[in-house]
Amino acid sequence: MMSSVPGPDKKSKLLVYTIEECPVCGQKTKRAFAVGDYVTKEAAKCSKCGNPTRIGLVYAETMKQSG
Amino acid sequence: MSILEGGILQVFGGINTSDLVTVVWIGFFALTFLYQTRIQSYMALSEISRGLNKLKVMKDKARKDAIDYLVDVGKAPGDPSQRVDQFLDYVAIMPVDMDPAGIVGKVDHIVTTNNDRVRAEVGALLKQNNPVTVSISENLLEVATSLNQIHKIVRHYYLLGKKTNSYFTLVQLQMLMPMIIQEADALLNAVDSFKLGQPVGDGIGPIVVSRFMAGKEKRVIAKDTVMAITEYKGRKLYVLKADGPMAYVGQPGVAIQKIVGEMGVKPSAIVMIDAALKLEGEKTGEIAEGVGAAIGGIGVEKFQIEEAATRAKVPLYAILVKQSILEAITVMRKEIAEAADKVTQVLNRVIEEKTKEGDDVVVAGIGNTLGVAQ
Repeated sequence: MMSSVPGPDKKSKLLVYTIEECPVCGQKTKRAFAVGDYVTKEAAKCSKCGNPTRIGLVYAETMKQSG
Repeated sequence: MSILEGGILQVFGGINTSDLVTVVWIGFFALTFLYQTRIQSYMALSEISRGLNKLKVMKDKARKDAIDYLVDVGKAPGDPSQRVDQFLDYVAIMPVDMDPAGIVGKVDHIVTTNNDRVRAEVGALLKQNNPVTVSISENLLEVATSLNQIHKIVRHYYLLGKKTNSYFTLVQLQMLMPMIIQEADALLNAVDSFKLGQPVGDGIGPIVVSRFMAGKEKRVIAKDTVMAITEYKGRKLYVLKADGPMAYVGQPGVAIQKIVGEMGVKPSAIVMIDAALKLEGEKTGEIAEGVGAAIGGIGVEKFQIEEAATRAKVPLYAILVKQSILEAITVMRKEIAEAADKVTQVLNRVIEEKTKEGDDVVVAGIGNTLGVAQ
């Protein structure tokens, strides 16, 4: 589920992303946060080398709204 | 003949606008001079009243969100509203400080009793004992309690100022209102992050430390606190953080006391990584280094760490990541998350510079570990 919460300045909102990291090849994949995600959780297989990845970070980015 | 009578006569006898304006101005100045504090009191009352209404909406929303979470996710049997309302008014009475010797132990005792009570209360409310759900419920109820408390205190001073017509009480409260609303708004925003189990800005310390713990054997060293032993460039690292991905802060003070005391470890340094409140003008995610125990809270943990470090004559080093109160308790911002790599580099440098091969080092990731396992 994509989480979108109001940002600090009311005109922006926050989009939350999960970063999956491959411990073998270092490939990083960014996707929308899903409920149940947490840092160090085992994630999908690496698209580059096929090894299992781990969630390295979960963070929010500010998206400015028009108007 | 007074100016007023003259003015009125001239108005009726042949309008003299200039005199009329003068009369109105004199009246205005007289009123302002005589009633300026009364007028300002009314303005303050109206502004505080608007803020108080906002606080009421916020505390009601936090209460509703907590109840909804207990019912929807926690599968609370029946309607938990009454129990929640009792919970919101529960108080922890701090010990007397007339004789301050030994007061930290007393505060610790009260705080521990209160934390145990909160967990037992939440456990009784829920139909399931998933530790993540229980910890999130605890945090949601604490947010609702804080907002309830803020609303009650502001309402108390508002009504007291109104009843006693105390201009200075009202003006002081009026001046504080923007900061109070800002803090309450931060608490309310935290509810969304807690409900979804997302890491918060305060979790930057645990994130850095979790990288050192990955794949290592973990053991519970204090309540809600885990430790792993690892190695870095010939140094033995004792790394600890609260047990994630639950919304715990753990007991790092007790953990460090155990490592230095019971376990008989003689560390050459204790390095603490924590979030720190930035001053206005400072950038989010900026890193600051320093010495001392980097930990917030009521002061019990800080005291325990300082005691242990002083007794064993171990230097305490701090690595801080700057953020606002809103950023610390809501979902982690990109700038803070991206500081994790830089903090790891700083930590490695501190270990290399301040210790030598064969030394023991304690590394503590301080903060709420919601959404950060190990």
